[in-house]
Amino acid sequence: MTDRRETWLLLLPGLALLALGFVLPIGRMLVLSVQGQDGYTLDQFARFFQDTFYPLVLWRTVWLSALITMICAAIGFPLAYIMARCGPRLRLWLVIMVILPLMTSVVVRTFGWMVLLARSGPISSTLRDFGLVGRSFQLMHTETAIVLGMVQVLLPFMVLSLLGVIIRLDPRLEEAARTMGCSFLQTMRMVVLPLAAPGLLAGSILVFTLSASSFVTPALLGGPRIEVLAGSIYKNVTQTLDWNFAAAQAVILFAGIALLLIPYLRLGRRAHG
Amino acid sequence: MSDLTLTNITKSFGKVEVLRGIDLTIRSGEFVSLLGASGCGKTTLLRIVAGLEGVSSGRVEIAGTDVTGLPPEKRDIAMMFQSYALLPHMSVAENVRFPLRMRRVGTRDEQDAKVRAALETVQLTHLADRAPRQLSGGQQQRVALARAIVSNPKVLLLDEPLSNLDARLREEMQVELIEIHRRIGLTTLFVTHDQDEALSLSDRVVLMNAGAIEQQAPPREIYDAPATAYASSFLGAANLVPARIADGKAQLADGQELAVAPGSPDGNVTLALRQENVDFLDGGGLAAKVITRVYMGSRHRYILDLAGQTISVLAPASVMLEPGSLARIGIAPDRIRILPG
Amino acid sequence: MVRAVPGWLRIAAVVFVMLAAIFMLAPLVVVMGVSVSESQFVAFPPQGFTFRWYGNALGSPAYLGAFWLSLTLAVLVTVSATLIGGAAAIGLSRGRRPGGPAETFFLSPLVLPSIIFAIGLLMLWSAVFGATSFYALWLAHTVVAIPYVIRTTLAVLAERDPFLEEAARTMGATRLKRLWFVTLPQCRPGLLAGAFFAFNISFDEAVLSLFLRNPNLTTLPVQIYGQLEFSPDPTVAAVSTLMILITVALMLILERMLGLTRFASG
Repeated sequence: MTDRRETWLLLLPGLALLALGFVLPIGRMLVLSVQGQDGYTLDQFARFFQDTFYPLVLWRTVWLSALITMICAAIGFPLAYIMARCGPRLRLWLVIMVILPLMTSVVVRTFGWMVLLARSGPISSTLRDFGLVGRSFQLMHTETAIVLGMVQVLLPFMVLSLLGVIIRLDPRLEEAARTMGCSFLQTMRMVVLPLAAPGLLAGSILVFTLSASSFVTPALLGGPRIEVLAGSIYKNVTQTLDWNFAAAQAVILFAGIALLLIPYLRLGRRAHG
Repeated sequence: MSDLTLTNITKSFGKVEVLRGIDLTIRSGEFVSLLGASGCGKTTLLRIVAGLEGVSSGRVEIAGTDVTGLPPEKRDIAMMFQSYALLPHMSVAENVRFPLRMRRVGTRDEQDAKVRAALETVQLTHLADRAPRQLSGGQQQRVALARAIVSNPKVLLLDEPLSNLDARLREEMQVELIEIHRRIGLTTLFVTHDQDEALSLSDRVVLMNAGAIEQQAPPREIYDAPATAYASSFLGAANLVPARIADGKAQLADGQELAVAPGSPDGNVTLALRQENVDFLDGGGLAAKVITRVYMGSRHRYILDLAGQTISVLAPASVMLEPGSLARIGIAPDRIRILPG
Repeated sequence: MVRAVPGWLRIAAVVFVMLAAIFMLAPLVVVMGVSVSESQFVAFPPQGFTFRWYGNALGSPAYLGAFWLSLTLAVLVTVSATLIGGAAAIGLSRGRRPGGPAETFFLSPLVLPSIIFAIGLLMLWSAVFGATSFYALWLAHTVVAIPYVIRTTLAVLAERDPFLEEAARTMGATRLKRLWFVTLPQCRPGLLAGAFFAFNISFDEAVLSLFLRNPNLTTLPVQIYGQLEFSPDPTVAAVSTLMILITVALMLILERMLGLTRFASG
């Protein structure tokens, strides 16, 4: 047996499994999205865009995901920088603090938010006690709830992506900038941020993709009346059993994500080119 | 009886020709060094003998058997790597036992006996149960050596094994290698870029240059009688001075003359002068201008200008000459090596 | 001494990190709090202290059944993902280009949302086999778990001594022996870490399990989700807390054995 053959033999089970469990299902989904009564048709897609409801769902999904991504970036960047520059002991604890939620089940985390955001929950009560909101104020079943829950779920992805990049930056670059007259914040803006851009880009792509495709957290925190695209897909697959339409919606979702990410990727490539 | 025969070995990596027609025969029990600068092909040649690289053309025979197509695991060889390559998850003893296990040599008890003997040879029996990472660099290196000799291979291959050691440890190991070779007498192929190492360890030195063998000879011969300018300058840092020989005298570019050995060829030649063979004289001899003086503790090294040629000369520390002054130097005629013009 | 970071910014940083910590951990703490509260309603801060919801959970056939399913599934997924992913990682490490297309392909389930193939998998499975079964879940979970095993194993293999394999060859070790005596021992920390990740991923997995579920095939996260959709109660908080504790235990073991953080950044 040669080296090449051994390598292929080692890769074969993995390739077969991914082909069967990953590639083929995606193919099947694509096929189903264009299947109609008598052959191939784009009816399902037409149905999506002709209704007033579904494009709204799509817009909400994209808008919320963009918001979530921006918030994750705004919180994630300083957090990642602090983690990169602090001592190893503290960093270890902070990494655990970031990874631990990531490793728990999304249903568990979302449940926690359900309790926190309930009408009688601690946040609403506190706000009411301070007289900042009225008696019928409620955080649950709002878009705000979805954003809060999703940011907590997805922040680790942004932080880890940025951490990997920032920690490899030579701290002497920042020192050099300071000897050339930059204040700390200016150094952040003009040295660290541009150099950390690849991590920011990768993290943003990841967070956006994951948040646009989420349905567990939005469904539980947003309630039945605030629907996101993934939630609509889930409903069509498991409840109304309208598989063709669900497949079409999925194709629209991923096409939408891809479309929005292409300029992002181009930006990244040009920056490195 | 030869233990290793290489016939017309060529090797190319893509368009780059690394070995150009190597013919080499190593007798049983001989210690041969492959010496050369980086990129001369010595390591590639060693790896070809090991079977870790294939040949583009040519034949490799070990103990009379053609092994050219065989992988390393099927050749009766042992190799010592520059980075030792000890298996980190096994103890010292298990590392040394590994080749015996793989080649299925003897019973467990017989293997243990051989392992003990090998560890005794390198004086490491007291560390048999340690893990490699608990050992110093020098100790790891001895384990690698023990592992290489334990299976009594037909050919022992050493890939610059002493390069990672500091100077003193290296000298100690060189002496030990000589001792071990004298005792066990394995046919050995040793790759190094250090000419002192090659000269002190080998029965024969094979000097390689750009993929071909420049010269092969016993150490004393290759040092005292280098056949080419390259060999001359690689071994012993010779100074090369162009001259014209007529009537038993060599005339330098600036007209100065010095005596050469009788029987030297006439015409345009290059004189090779070893820096330790050139003496400073009080008067007479050749005139050379002192450019730089380098203090080396036990001696001085002087960079001189002789007839437009920059040469390097060693002198005792007591000889103190100022840069810019004129020195007088001489060399015995039989110490001058004449190379073709 | 001249400090690089101005004083007020330092204070702000400390406050920021504390708030971030609270933000990240609050949901988990809240769940644990509710699980021991006397109150029948899901409210925080908890009132009183009791373990009876745990008793409830452990006595409930629905939760117990879901737990056994999740456990069995996780164990089997760990085995399959470690074997297949480990082999793939070894194969990938021999490739000439780290980060090449093959590696990207194998690691893609890490960055792509699982919903992307959950849908198609359900549709494909029904077309071929009819109703979803344990094997469908096993397949789906293994697909998401494999990239974790590959990533940790590749990270370990990247640091290996490249000459060990050649040395083993010169010592007479044939291909299989080299795999057993040299490559696998080198992989071991990566495989172990990957196995832990695989177990955790499968045990906590919700999306695929929700798509592939049927009345006989309810994993623990799915059971919890159903309860949350319907009406959250302290019992589900108790179950959730148990899940959190399992995760924490796994993380502690992982950190103690191998140093978790080396796998943390990218």
